[in-house]
Amino acid sequence: MANYLSILIFAFIGGSGRYLMGQVLPASTGFPWATVVVNLLGCLILAWLSHAKRVTAHWPGAVTVGLGIGGIGAFTTFSTFSVDTVRLITQHQWGLVGAYLTVTLVGGVLCSALGVWSARKWATFPVFEK
Amino acid sequence: MMAGLAGIGAAIGALGRYGSSQLGAKLMGTRWPMATLLINWLGSLLLGLLTGWQATHVMTVLFGTGVLGGFTTYSTFSHEVVMLVDQRRWGAALGYLLLSVVGGLALAGLGVYLGMIFGGGR
Repeated sequence: MANYLSILIFAFIGGSGRYLMGQVLPASTGFPWATVVVNLLGCLILAWLSHAKRVTAHWPGAVTVGLGIGGIGAFTTFSTFSVDTVRLITQHQWGLVGAYLTVTLVGGVLCSALGVWSARKWATFPVFEK
Repeated sequence: MMAGLAGIGAAIGALGRYGSSQLGAKLMGTRWPMATLLINWLGSLLLGLLTGWQATHVMTVLFGTGVLGGFTTYSTFSHEVVMLVDQRRWGAALGYLLLSVVGGLALAGLGVYLGMIFGGGR
């Protein structure tokens, strides 16, 4: 029950934040910068949060679940990424299609990897030999 | 005002994603991230429909930016790809990435097309 409530609250913040990012960075140049920024930033934070056990161990479980699954999960979006790409394809903006796919996919994987790596390096419990 | 509307939608969408992924884990296990794949596919199809249908601004913010944006997730998808790579499961990582993206694009395109047929240009 606490998990559900926590997800609701954090997802409200994450979804509102994504909308506001779209207002701050409108796709006026035809390139969906706002979606790129929320997705890459979200990849970095979620990956870090999932492995930074030394930090999250002090938090109530519902906060970790709410922040990760609710907050960051709702902040990032896959559906807008898909539909934005389809829109660029129908406009025959092939250069932008290639750039958007590359920045989102390669950048996303790199941000996730950076999050995992940095959390394992600085924010995980040391592993003791048994 | 509109940000709040997107937030309410996203809260509903994220709860739907949490429930679906719990159910998916129970039915299909967690060795392969099938739940996220299906969630992102379904969300792409539905957002395509909404876009092709040319819904009103309020509907687009509530259901598109909100519910479907909150239901689908990019951060979990990307993290799962990196975790498969971390486990040296190269084929699974590449397969998951390609299925997500190619399938998501195809379904979004299908959604836009169907949306235009059934309600576009109202």
